[in-house]
Amino acid sequence: MNDSIKKEHVFQHPIDKVWDAISIEKEISSWFIKADFKAEKGYYYTFNSEGEHCTQINGVIVEADPYTLIYTWIVEGTKAETTVKWTLEEVEEGTKLYLEHSGISEYEGDTAVDMFNSFNNGWNNCINKLTEYLKAVYAG
Amino acid sequence: MQDKITKILKAIADPTRREIFHALIIATTALPITQLSNQFVISRQGVTKHLKTLEEAGLIVISNQGRERYCHANAKPLQEINQWLKFYEQFWDTSLKNLSSYLDKKI
Repeated sequence: MNDSIKKEHVFQHPIDKVWDAISIEKEISSWFIKADFKAEKGYYYTFNSEGEHCTQINGVIVEADPYTLIYTWIVEGTKAETTVKWTLEEVEEGTKLYLEHSGISEYEGDTAVDMFNSFNNGWNNCINKLTEYLKAVYAG
Repeated sequence: MQDKITKILKAIADPTRREIFHALIIATTALPITQLSNQFVISRQGVTKHLKTLEEAGLIVISNQGRERYCHANAKPLQEINQWLKFYEQFWDTSLKNLSSYLDKKI
């Protein structure tokens, strides 16, 4: 069994536009999670920094050179550190994104279950709210 | 780091151990180690070694009944990993969909 999740996606947009969307605080907060974020190596970021019932995620920027963005991913209330890596590549149709979330083997079994439960209670709400927000904003 | 999930991943990384585990899952009941060993071409000693790794990962339970040692499968630890992966699979799918529509609408 693999201990990481890998995703690939092609966006029909220029590479800089995609890079901005994943690396600029305001943009991340629009489509992803409310963020306190700077794409600078060593910066300690927080996701859901103002969320009332949302599970917080934080970590440190490991690498932020166009077009690779790597940060650690620590879920509030757990000690285990996982890593999220975004890599962009220019392709004919636009921009190809490689996303890798690794490090599940760092979790102890019980922690993984606790984390899952805390997400069920908190984080899913935030994602749903985000989807609603996007729908509302772009309804017209 | 030899924590629980690392042990589980290590235990199921080996094809023979997966076969042994699978045989026990199918049996649905505790099997004597002697009977289990007969199903495999490797030596009983080899099977015992694999069983120990599976036991350390919590994937099987070994118990003594009289002179014979019995083992049965416990799939619960696998469910824990599966839950984690399933959650993030869905999470990232949703997020990338959001990113995609965000980029489409962005001027």
